Amino acid sequence: MKPLVKNTAKIMMFLLAAIIITGGATSCKSKKKLAREKSAAEYTMKVEQAKRDLTAMLNGTTNWSLEEQDNRLNVIKSYNIDDDEVIDLITKVESKISMDKAEAERKDEEDRLKREEDEKIKDAAAKYEEFDNQLNAISKSTTIDAANKKITLSLEQFATPDVPVLIIISQYGGVNDYDRPTTISKFLNYLKDKKQYQYQVESVKRDGLGKITEVELIKK
Amino acid sequence: MKLSYLWILIATLGVSFSVYSQDELSPERKQAVDSLALEKVRDLSKYISIIGSKETLWSEADRVIQRAEELFMTGSEIGVSSLVNPDDIKYYLVRKYFERLMRLNYKKVEIEWYNIEYMSDLQKQPDGTYVGVITIFQKFKGYDAEGRLIYQDTTKKDITVYVKRKETQIGGRLIGFWDVLLGDMRVKETSK
Repeated sequence: MKPLVKNTAKIMMFLLAAIIITGGATSCKSKKKLAREKSAAEYTMKVEQAKRDLTAMLNGTTNWSLEEQDNRLNVIKSYNIDDDEVIDLITKVESKISMDKAEAERKDEEDRLKREEDEKIKDAAAKYEEFDNQLNAISKSTTIDAANKKITLSLEQFATPDVPVLIIISQYGGVNDYDRPTTISKFLNYLKDKKQYQYQVESVKRDGLGKITEVELIKK
Repeated sequence: MKLSYLWILIATLGVSFSVYSQDELSPERKQAVDSLALEKVRDLSKYISIIGSKETLWSEADRVIQRAEELFMTGSEIGVSSLVNPDDIKYYLVRKYFERLMRLNYKKVEIEWYNIEYMSDLQKQPDGTYVGVITIFQKFKGYDAEGRLIYQDTTKKDITVYVKRKETQIGGRLIGFWDVLLGDMRVKETSK
């Protein structure tokens, strides 16, 4: 009877050990599987999110700035996603961002040049504002006598009444197109007749005595 | 030796292209020249109104006639019609027309031009001159000493416009300019 009890205890011990070992192994296997599944799910989500973001960037339906798009693209690239669609989208988005950057740079340069040009025009306008006002006042005179008085006064600033007046009618490709040159005397009388001053003084040349020897106007 | 010929050819082509590009008009430059020609016609409109006005002093009218004359090509003529005999259109040399206009037998004269526009666009001719036709409508009103309107008509007139690029030296600089000159002014219709 004693050996039977002893054997039974041994069997029980074996069974218990087997259960513990088998249970532990199964538990370990299931944890790894879960981890793999979790990792796979995360990867799938990452791929899907990457596709969504890349498509949005490609179609221009995102509110991200170019810098933000560039950053997001770099993050996606760092995932090294092995998916043909993602790889294709990355190439396309890279090309689009590069083009958008070039376009933004071109626009910035255009804006800068326009600002510079506006500044120049503003400076020029301010530089000859008084002269422009004087010419405008002649055109706005209510009587011939008043206009003639202003013309006589204005002519005192010029070296002669025959000082040339050049009128730029257009500026394209570095070429100035002029109207037929006239003289200051004729031009001041023209303003009186037309009752309209639609120009802006572009440049003025003076002699050693400070008298004006040439006027360049631009048609507005 | 052959190389120097090549350089001469390149330089000649370069100069020719530069001259060509100055005379050729891009749409933007063409627009500016179109506007300039229209402006000259508007100037003429203003001058005619000043010359015709009985309030204008003789000295002023004489000065304005000179300015108006400068707008035309030498030998240009201006047509005059009347409702009395609309088919009998008389043509006068520009100076003669202005002098006649100044002496019209009314106490007060009002002349207004409107609908000034191109009837045929400026077209480049073989000699490089651009030629176009601008149409205007002129409303003429003549009053007697009592201020009564005794004559009025509306005339449609066509003015030929010639535009040519020229160059002149000013202050040591070569200035390229567009010389706009008006040609004959033909009466097309006269109505009340």
